[in-house]
Amino acid sequence: MIPQSLQDIHEIPVEFVDLVKESVINTFASIIGSEPSYIKPNGESKSLNGIIGNIAVFNQHHTLSLMIVIPKETALKLSEVFIGMEIPFESNDMGDLVGEISNILAGDVAANIETVGFRGQSSLPTATRGSDLTLFMPNKPPTEKMKFSGPTGDFWVNMALSESR
Amino acid sequence: MGKVKALVVDDSKIMRSAVKRALDQLMLAEFEYVEAMDGQDALDKFDDEIEIMFVDWNMPNMTGVEFSRAIRDKGDTEHIPIIMVTAEKSMGKVDKALNEGGANEYITKPFTADKMHQTISRYFDDDGNIIGEETEEEEEKSFFSSILKS
Repeated sequence: MIPQSLQDIHEIPVEFVDLVKESVINTFASIIGSEPSYIKPNGESKSLNGIIGNIAVFNQHHTLSLMIVIPKETALKLSEVFIGMEIPFESNDMGDLVGEISNILAGDVAANIETVGFRGQSSLPTATRGSDLTLFMPNKPPTEKMKFSGPTGDFWVNMALSESR
Repeated sequence: MGKVKALVVDDSKIMRSAVKRALDQLMLAEFEYVEAMDGQDALDKFDDEIEIMFVDWNMPNMTGVEFSRAIRDKGDTEHIPIIMVTAEKSMGKVDKALNEGGANEYITKPFTADKMHQTISRYFDDDGNIIGEETEEEEEKSFFSSILKS
């Protein structure tokens, strides 16, 4: 259970992190047919040519923001697996696809974290695409960065826990 | 094979295509599709020729549950199967869609054609026509006719 005020919380509770990790693995396994592996982050932070899916699971007290960071090569391979053909990276369909993957992940995360008392609903997803993207995580709320690698390539899931406004 | 008019409601074009592709693979019927990008759009496109609906939950303007409720509130629509196709998977959400929304079935994304078949095949007869939900009167009739037959 998370305290209503996050003033003294500097890290996302480990049970949350584990449940989100489990959701990422399950969601991508159901999309790509095999489980991606979790790779312990080594603190590397380089700019990205790719697309980021943004979505949140929230209730009146807290918001868990999820950012699915997908390099261009991974996104192209994901599109091939998801819809049976590679879709152009610059197309609206690519944004649509990454938004839908974010939506599916958030649905699983919401169901999973409900088991530890966080009853929330998903926001609508958005997607941000570009080259030379650097993702700065906010300083104040507790955050967590996770890296995964699977048959369609590497990707990251970053999350931040904040008080709902 | 009968031609069935299906309303596919999802704010994601990719997902609308995935639903249509799965339905075409199943060969349960020949489908004619009407697509809508949210609940309000679907409400505008709904007419009395629609025979089955595939509805996402989380959409802008009007959610799938609000749309389903609005359709059921029109009256004389109980015979139209509403299949929720959604990423929402907690038990509370399933319960809400089926009870508050009046949906008949619930499929979680990502789905396979097999899963779709398991869920919706009972709504089609062998000629590819929609069977629909039985009204209480029809249920009573078929109950008595089965007793008479036995």
